[in-house]
Amino acid sequence: MCPECHSVEHEVVELAGTGTVYSYAILHHPQHPAFSYPVVAVLVDLDEGIRVVSNLVGVEPPEVRIGAPVRVMFQATADGLTVPVFEPAGPT
Amino acid sequence: MSVSLGGSAAIVGIGQTEFSKAAGRSETQLAGEAIVAALSDAGLTTDDVDGFVSYTIDPVEETELVRALGTPEVRWSSRVPYGGGGSQGVLLHAAAAVAGGAARVVVAYRAIKARSGSRFGRAQVSPRPTSAHSGSTASQWCSPFGVLTPASWMALNATRYMHTYGVTSADFGRAVVQLRDYAATNPNAHFYGTRITLDDHQSSRWIAEPAIRLFDCCQETDGAVALVVTTADRARDTPAPVIVAAAATAGLFEEEIASNHYRPNLEVMEGSVALAAQLFGSGIARSDIDVAMIYDAFSPILLMQLEALGFCGFGEAKDFIADGNLAPGGGLPCNTNGGLIGEGYIHGLNLTVEAVRQLRGVAVNQLDDPSTALVTASRTGVILQRPL
Repeated sequence: MCPECHSVEHEVVELAGTGTVYSYAILHHPQHPAFSYPVVAVLVDLDEGIRVVSNLVGVEPPEVRIGAPVRVMFQATADGLTVPVFEPAGPT
Repeated sequence: MSVSLGGSAAIVGIGQTEFSKAAGRSETQLAGEAIVAALSDAGLTTDDVDGFVSYTIDPVEETELVRALGTPEVRWSSRVPYGGGGSQGVLLHAAAAVAGGAARVVVAYRAIKARSGSRFGRAQVSPRPTSAHSGSTASQWCSPFGVLTPASWMALNATRYMHTYGVTSADFGRAVVQLRDYAATNPNAHFYGTRITLDDHQSSRWIAEPAIRLFDCCQETDGAVALVVTTADRARDTPAPVIVAAAATAGLFEEEIASNHYRPNLEVMEGSVALAAQLFGSGIARSDIDVAMIYDAFSPILLMQLEALGFCGFGEAKDFIADGNLAPGGGLPCNTNGGLIGEGYIHGLNLTVEAVRQLRGVAVNQLDDPSTALVTASRTGVILQRPL
């Protein structure tokens, strides 16, 4: 339900897939076999104004920066599914 | 709590089991033991109890608890949503129940096997049960990315806090050193007798970099605590009552319980800001607080709450702590049992027990004659006062 108007209608909208790193955490412990450590967890503020939890890939953990521009890519995960993760994007 | 309810209820009994890493018995038994101890402390019996309150995440079933205790008739019961951030809400529920006449004697309890049972710090990808109202529904958006534990949820907020205000891991460490100092002289604490230095903190391993090291984390603990609440009138006939001067909860839109990732400004604990507006709108000032017990599941949220509650400016908790304000002679002695980091993690409710002990004058790290105590857990809180 939409918390603004209480409509229960919905539609799928394609987003640009670009945003900036709002925050991050480099996860060391505990470790689960499904992931390779350290895991770079990020909060990404998408350009459309939505915040998502995801991973930053293609970057060494010490290079993670708040405010860095990122763009989405899709990565295989368990059970043949894919999840949206992010990689560094050059300044636009 | 509205001002009209303030002071009409009192905590008249406290009880607990031992805190350990392996209780060797069920949460129901732990709860029962703590409740019997709390009632004995109050000079009451299970026959006097007609109300119960805990958290929705607590595994003890009321029906089994009542069968164990032999309580003749339950007239009122409730649960505060989710986990530790709701911990102080049990005092609002209990006080409202007795002040409104729904019950006469309410027991607030939390029983947990956070080390030998379901550990918060363990990596689990299967979603924790949402049907049990554990507050973990939002974790489905975290677990595909390896964000599996409360430390990883909160580190995302804490990193943003560090970035915004120039806070470092050593700033968190100075708070932890103080907590461990208190714990070192508390025989009830896991870290009894083991102080640490800032170097020790800084060399403890990363859990979630750059915010949370091992020593920034609370202790997964087995045990239970209970508090007995009745009307202020009835409390006069009990040995050592403490008045519930104010109690409040503040659940903000889109502020999730642990994985609060979607409000615009995560560097501020806005639920605690709203909580403080209620608590300190009741005629009690921040300067009246003689001792504070502040939910420290992880050290960053101790600093963030000090700021959100208004004891210092935003970004200034690191200096407030470095100046020694949390120490026994400081401006705001804080978590005098060692906190959840030093004593143990009975999901926040052991902080309330310590506040009662301070006001009774029987704490192990007893302060000099405190009359007003604050206990907060993020979005819930209570102000307790020694009777005049």
